[in-house]
Amino acid sequence: MRALEAVPGALLLLFLPALSLHAESRPESVGSVASDIWSFLQQIRGVAQDDSIPARRQVEHPIAIPAAGANGPAIDLSDLSRPLDLERELGRLSTLADTAVRVTIPGGTARLGSYSVGSEQSLAGHLLVLRGDADIYGRLDGNLVTYDGDVVLHPGAIVAGDVLAVHGRVQNSGGEIQGESRMLAAAPVTAQTAAAPRSALSLTFSRLVGVIGVFLALACLGWALSVFAQQHLQIVSDTTSHNFGRAFITGLIGQILLLPTFGMLVVGLVLSVAGILLLPFAVIVYALLVIVGVVGGFLAMAHAMGETWTRRRQAAGVMLGSPGSARFVMMGLAVTAALWLAWALVGWVPVAGSVVRGAAVLLTWLLATTGLGAAMLSRAGVRENFAGRIIPPEALTDEYLWATPRFGVPAARRPGTPAPPRQR
Amino acid sequence: MKAALLALALTVAGVPLLAAQEMRDYAVSRQRHGEGRVAAHLAFAAGTISVSAGSPDVLYAMQLRYDPERFTPVSRFDAGDGSLALGIENTGKSGLRVASRTQLTQTATVLLNPAVLVSLAANLGAANARLELGGLRLSDFRLESGATRATVSFSQPNRIRCSTMTIEAGAAELTLDRLGNSRCAAVSISGGMGQTTLDLRGIWGQPSTVSVRMTVGTLLLRIPRSLGVRVRSERFLSSFPSEGWTRNGDILLSPGYASARRHVDLNLETALGGVRVEWVR
Repeated sequence: MRALEAVPGALLLLFLPALSLHAESRPESVGSVASDIWSFLQQIRGVAQDDSIPARRQVEHPIAIPAAGANGPAIDLSDLSRPLDLERELGRLSTLADTAVRVTIPGGTARLGSYSVGSEQSLAGHLLVLRGDADIYGRLDGNLVTYDGDVVLHPGAIVAGDVLAVHGRVQNSGGEIQGESRMLAAAPVTAQTAAAPRSALSLTFSRLVGVIGVFLALACLGWALSVFAQQHLQIVSDTTSHNFGRAFITGLIGQILLLPTFGMLVVGLVLSVAGILLLPFAVIVYALLVIVGVVGGFLAMAHAMGETWTRRRQAAGVMLGSPGSARFVMMGLAVTAALWLAWALVGWVPVAGSVVRGAAVLLTWLLATTGLGAAMLSRAGVRENFAGRIIPPEALTDEYLWATPRFGVPAARRPGTPAPPRQR
Repeated sequence: MKAALLALALTVAGVPLLAAQEMRDYAVSRQRHGEGRVAAHLAFAAGTISVSAGSPDVLYAMQLRYDPERFTPVSRFDAGDGSLALGIENTGKSGLRVASRTQLTQTATVLLNPAVLVSLAANLGAANARLELGGLRLSDFRLESGATRATVSFSQPNRIRCSTMTIEAGAAELTLDRLGNSRCAAVSISGGMGQTTLDLRGIWGQPSTVSVRMTVGTLLLRIPRSLGVRVRSERFLSSFPSEGWTRNGDILLSPGYASARRHVDLNLETALGGVRVEWVR
């Protein structure tokens, strides 16, 4: 048993330095420095490029995009104030094969591939250039939109409307844009990487590590509680065992009243003027009390589960070694962890994963609520009234009272002893 | 059996799952085509924003990096009345977003034309704002902010006289740098909680009144010795260091008030907290 109690402590001692080293080396030091050095070397080599900009699909033979039929796609370029909506619509077009692209531009034209308006040319209506640059030397009487391409305005060029470059830039080399000029950059490659599909294997692994880490931390806390606050832990645990329903209801009410109580505390301190100075401390203490109540209550609940199971096994004649608080907590935690581990393993499965996660969340909430209620009822393990350790008065029989004189009945005087003098 | 396990492993490895998106870059600008006046309204809920004077050829410009899942960029200009709306507005998907710190950093850089008359109103949420308004032709300025750390500075004098400057801050850390260069006739600052720094340096082109109302917090006054300041103070559980000041009834006059070339009236209403004075050159 001593060896079992020593395990979490040893694990804690082993893991803490490793965790702290990991925490020191991870965030923005090694990774970002390596990245900076790499990009710096790339710059020195002269091959630096903006990796964050995705590569564009080139169009070999620029063509005019035919108008779609009556039921085909139509894109209105008269209002460019919602570039994200336009990006979505144009993105759908861009995925089509070059020969399959069809779109209707009300009051305008569409081009696939780079396109230029000559210096003697004047184009009426809106212009859409898909997957290519728009070089304007002359005049465009309308709005101009490019997708996966730049807008280049040369000296003397005039665009009478607005300009929008989706996944491109507006380069003005002396032209005039009478409307607004907008650029919506492509989502960076890093973002696409982040949004890229993650394999279920890697997800399962990361979840497993997370679950194990959380329960390892809880095991360490439980071990510390069972060593340093065993009496309190046992009283809260006994309270959950003897008054499960009452503890659950109390925990539920406690959760509901958490925020109103906090609000009243803050308002009360503010109204008392002098109490404003205590406000930061009160907030911190309140938060700590809630955390201690929930986590401690949860561990006490795990203790109660472990103890109940152990007693039943022992009653069945199974030898389980010397039972103790630490063992009870570990066993209770193992039950909860089993459900979370199941979620980590099958969480990627569409329906079953959600069901298992729901069950794990429900069980954890139930345990935490009951534990919180028990901690409240027992005043964090100080009060034993609900723990079944104090025999209620109605359970007492006369056999406990035979030596106790009844109230109001004077004790009989021994024969031969003089009567006490009357006091005057 | 081995084949089945291999197939299961491959299936598991191949199941695609979606993760979060990141920030988007958006830029907007408009060339100036003879406009004489802009009534600009900036709205920026969260992140870092800087505002300053830009090129005379550009009416306005904004460079934005924003979270497309929660916000959408706004740029509206009405050439008829000169009204301009810039910034980001909420898409309605509220709530906390748990992500890395860099992922959450929204930034906006706004440039305003220094040659046109600018009436500026800014509405900031939980933002870190730096507004360098010196060198603009600022007719009036209004700032409303929530939990904001804001610095409004006038490193150069305002090109015209400004009528009013109104600042309403919630829980904020507010710094007004070289307020005298704003050339505003009336400056009104009301703050809920936090620290406010008022730097009264600058040219103060006209008789001006600065009113400060603070509920809980500290007010730091940086006063140049050459400026004559008349303080009218209403305090509740707060202090004012009046050593060296001349008391005239309810009014305190700064040292050398009578001989000062420029004068400012300072009305203070402070509840809880203190006022500190720092004399500068």
